[in-house]
Amino acid sequence: MDFYDWVLAFHLLAAFSIAAALVLYSVLVVAGRRMATLEQTRLLFRVAPVGGPLVGIGMGLTLLLGIVLAIDADAFQLWDPWVIAAIVLWALFAEVGRRTGAYYTETQKLAESGEAGVEPEVLARLRAPTGARLHYANVAVFLLLVLDMIFKPGA
Amino acid sequence: MLASIRPDSINFALLVHVLGAMVMVGALATAVAAALVGWRDETGALSRLSYKTLLYAALPGYIVMRVGAQWVYAKEHLDDLPDDPAWVVIGFITSDLGGLLLLIALILGGIGLRRTRSGGGQGLLKASSVIATLLVAVYIVAVWAMGAKPT
Repeated sequence: MDFYDWVLAFHLLAAFSIAAALVLYSVLVVAGRRMATLEQTRLLFRVAPVGGPLVGIGMGLTLLLGIVLAIDADAFQLWDPWVIAAIVLWALFAEVGRRTGAYYTETQKLAESGEAGVEPEVLARLRAPTGARLHYANVAVFLLLVLDMIFKPGA
Repeated sequence: MLASIRPDSINFALLVHVLGAMVMVGALATAVAAALVGWRDETGALSRLSYKTLLYAALPGYIVMRVGAQWVYAKEHLDDLPDDPAWVVIGFITSDLGGLLLLIALILGGIGLRRTRSGGGQGLLKASSVIATLLVAVYIVAVWAMGAKPT
């Protein structure tokens, strides 16, 4: 096993870390739409923080190790179209993820505020299509990234 | 370097394999997270969420991953080799052993879920999530082997 193999292995593990966070958030988005009480939503929000480090570390390592791979490999370069596409998709993924996170963080803060009468608003925000659409858009961008990595268009 | 010299005809099979594996590993991690966070939760809501994630996401992910693996194996003509490379052996062992463990976790969790209706079953649900934790570790090794391809 050479340097390239090791970097590729950790690049792949980092991608799986992002995928794990996306599956976790998908489960929470689907389960969140079925919540009936504020207590249930608070319980669900206790699971969400697990996704933060998974997606954060995963994104940092995929980009860093991806660049190292592109520099190290003779077969492709940083300016290859599929590598540039991957970097653009990575940035898009980060931005959509930031917006999705902001929406659900606001909902979580509302749920944990302890203010009277917030239950209908919290449940309405979890059932509203806004958060789910943002999340599914993020999943779609990730799928495009995986397609780009496997098919390497233009390589 | 294998990625750069991989024939295009394998890409679709590889995509199926990778997407299945990502859903499976993600579902296992989610099930473990829900079970750990809800370990002391007396309502058992997160234990049930953990089990349902195993059943409705990890199991279908496993099936897609395993079918994709066999498809890639055939497409790459790895069956023509006199001996399987080490990374293929690791892949087969982890996926088949992992499949068995997943099945055991699902059976234990299923019985536990039924028993929760009469007030019990928490122990079995917890046993199911312990197996899921073991599976996450097993599949981290598998993902590493698929990337590093040790010989």
